[in-house]
Amino acid sequence: MNDGKEELDELREAVREFLAAKSPASAVRAAMDTGYDPAVWDQMARQLRLPGLALPSEFGGDGFGLTELEVVLEEMGAALACSPFFATVVLAAQALLASADEAACARYLPGIAAGRTIAALAAAEGNASWDPAMVAARAERTAAGWALSGKKSFVIDGAIADLVLVVARSTAGPSLFAVDRGASGLRAEPMTTLDPTRAMAVLTFDQVPAVLVGTEGRAGALMSRVLDLACVALAAEQAGGARRCLEMSASYAGTRFQFGRPIGSFQAVKHKCADMLVRVELAEATAREAARLADEAAAEFAVAAATAHICCSQAYLFAAAENIQVHGGIGFTWEHPAHLYFRRAKSCELLFGGPAVYHERLLDRLGI
Amino acid sequence: MPDDLLQFTREVREFLDAHAPRAAERAAFRWGEGDDRVAYFGADPPEVEERKLRAARDWQRTRYSSGFGWISGPPEYGGRGLTPVHELVYDGIESEYDVPDTGTLSVIGLGMIGPTILAHGQQPAKDRYLPAMYRGDVIACQLFSEPEAGSDLASLQTRAVPGPGEWILDGQKVWTSVAQHSQIGMALCRTDPDAPKHKGITAFLVDMSAPGVDVRPLRQMSGGSDFNEVFLSGVRVPDDHRLGEVNGGWRVALTTLMNERATVGSEGSGPVAEALSPERLSALMRATWTWDDRALRRDLSELLADMMATGYLNARAFRRMQAGVAPGPEMSVAKLMYAQNLTRAAHFTSRVLGPLIIADTGEWGTYAWTELLLATPALRILGGTEEIMKNILAERVLGLPKEPGIDTTSPFRALPKSGGTS
Repeated sequence: MNDGKEELDELREAVREFLAAKSPASAVRAAMDTGYDPAVWDQMARQLRLPGLALPSEFGGDGFGLTELEVVLEEMGAALACSPFFATVVLAAQALLASADEAACARYLPGIAAGRTIAALAAAEGNASWDPAMVAARAERTAAGWALSGKKSFVIDGAIADLVLVVARSTAGPSLFAVDRGASGLRAEPMTTLDPTRAMAVLTFDQVPAVLVGTEGRAGALMSRVLDLACVALAAEQAGGARRCLEMSASYAGTRFQFGRPIGSFQAVKHKCADMLVRVELAEATAREAARLADEAAAEFAVAAATAHICCSQAYLFAAAENIQVHGGIGFTWEHPAHLYFRRAKSCELLFGGPAVYHERLLDRLGI
Repeated sequence: MPDDLLQFTREVREFLDAHAPRAAERAAFRWGEGDDRVAYFGADPPEVEERKLRAARDWQRTRYSSGFGWISGPPEYGGRGLTPVHELVYDGIESEYDVPDTGTLSVIGLGMIGPTILAHGQQPAKDRYLPAMYRGDVIACQLFSEPEAGSDLASLQTRAVPGPGEWILDGQKVWTSVAQHSQIGMALCRTDPDAPKHKGITAFLVDMSAPGVDVRPLRQMSGGSDFNEVFLSGVRVPDDHRLGEVNGGWRVALTTLMNERATVGSEGSGPVAEALSPERLSALMRATWTWDDRALRRDLSELLADMMATGYLNARAFRRMQAGVAPGPEMSVAKLMYAQNLTRAAHFTSRVLGPLIIADTGEWGTYAWTELLLATPALRILGGTEEIMKNILAERVLGLPKEPGIDTTSPFRALPKSGGTS
């Protein structure tokens, strides 16, 4: 009945220590220029077994749930850790699992679980929509098998992925395909991103050989499930990032003196921090509750996922913006990390479409 | 769940099965059917209020005689000698049954003042009042706030002057819930105006039927009277009704406030929560032909997201408390959010209704929303204003420094008062 709280605390502590040592601010800055650090990714897999944490044991994982994954993602969000974790373990692995394609899972998931395979999910295109109905990329049957043509944008870690899962349209409708890195006709171009801690790429497909994953024409339902899970995983990152912004603000407001007093003793500043705390507590609760409901396969999960996406998006953006305000001038400098959180917060909010999409998604999940 | 809790759970169910029906499944909602009131404050006619109070007292008596009247209280005063976790378990199970609302007795009297008497009362007061309170015979109210002591409770001015074996009280209290039903009141009084404000206060139990106690209903902006003003004019209180030390009343008051019953989990039910369900709100939009208004749909989503998030926060806090983990800041956060959510909900529904909420057309489920609209300003004030709640969160949870001031060290007499009087 205690939610396995002690185990979760131990996991959190281990991940936090690891990230403090391996992904300090200096490492984040370095990764902004040169990309993620493969040595750290390797340690993350070997020492902490994080990529496989929430993957089923029959595919090489440790069989934990979203509740445990949530803890890891909160810490990664707090540290702005640069790694292909989100793309590989959340987007790509969840797409494979949602496809219910045993052969594909058996082929790809063990590599992902062991940290050998970096994977990406290519769904959105130039219009940035994750709605499979909007997919224009085409899949054709050829004598040699499936061939994909088209262009995908906003593909997280698409330029470094060993495996790309692609949503493309066949005559049966949107379907999921697997493409190996180095397949002929595949070209990857990094995109310039608002958030330099999360790499994205444009992938161009010109008759690229591909393998069908799951059932042809069924990527609609699959993506709906993947997006629900991805929203909850993202919510964890957002809650972690928002919590870190609050901690930075509270600590600064307690030590920065103006007018002979710590600025945190002024109610105008104090109340700002309290408002951040309220939003952070709500964000954390919704993200964690949504994860719990996912693990229990509760009917309410889809509603909780949509709620978590809205609450955590708003909380992170609010906390990141107010964090700069609490810091004043120093918070507007390039050197200060506040802008990195601001960039991440904005990018997370809009990644899956933002308010233009997520409000209607919640109403839809509520049957309104 | 440990064995003793399992055993306790079985006992609770047996008791409730024998004495109360299971709560009926909520009937499917149909626009235009049933009661359309959206009442936050009670606005029952006096005879209905009396009937509900009788039912509440009867139910508390039944609980008491079966050992569930004061689950965490000591046996010598009629308690069961179990833990607060057992209380939570009981409350959780009882919420599945259809039982009278005992809030008039329990929120302030049993929840806050009972534990204070237990901690700080003298023997005669404990013997006389504790069993009687938990048996449902004695209702208690809190004589704390004053016209000049709102957020700054410690600046209260009601005086208590010592006489032989007794005290004489003079002053005015305000915002006193349930005073009209109460047999006793816990009063905070100034006993040393030359000491700093926190150090010159003494707490007493006042017999509400004593000469000089005058309870007058206070009409609030929503039209009803849920609170009272209580005037104390030369009220004589025996010294054995003093709680704690002379001039040690602030500590006593903190005991009371710390026992302010966790509202966790209790806000997801009731007529307001039902009226604000996604189903009801969308029915309102359909009935008013605002169904496809994009701006209103976005407002609705924002509102529902925050209401559900607050529900998740409560659910998690409740589960943690049941598991014996001390609650964090969730309750203060939930209180702030509850006020904000209801306020936003009231304004959302009024935007949906448009002119239908400024004059009564007689149409079901429209003008009725004025009741919630006019109640919501109270939610940001009562039980600690939003501003004070934010100070508490920032200072106690985030560790931010207090506002520097002179008012905790100077003699109370020397502090500036409203209107320039002292």
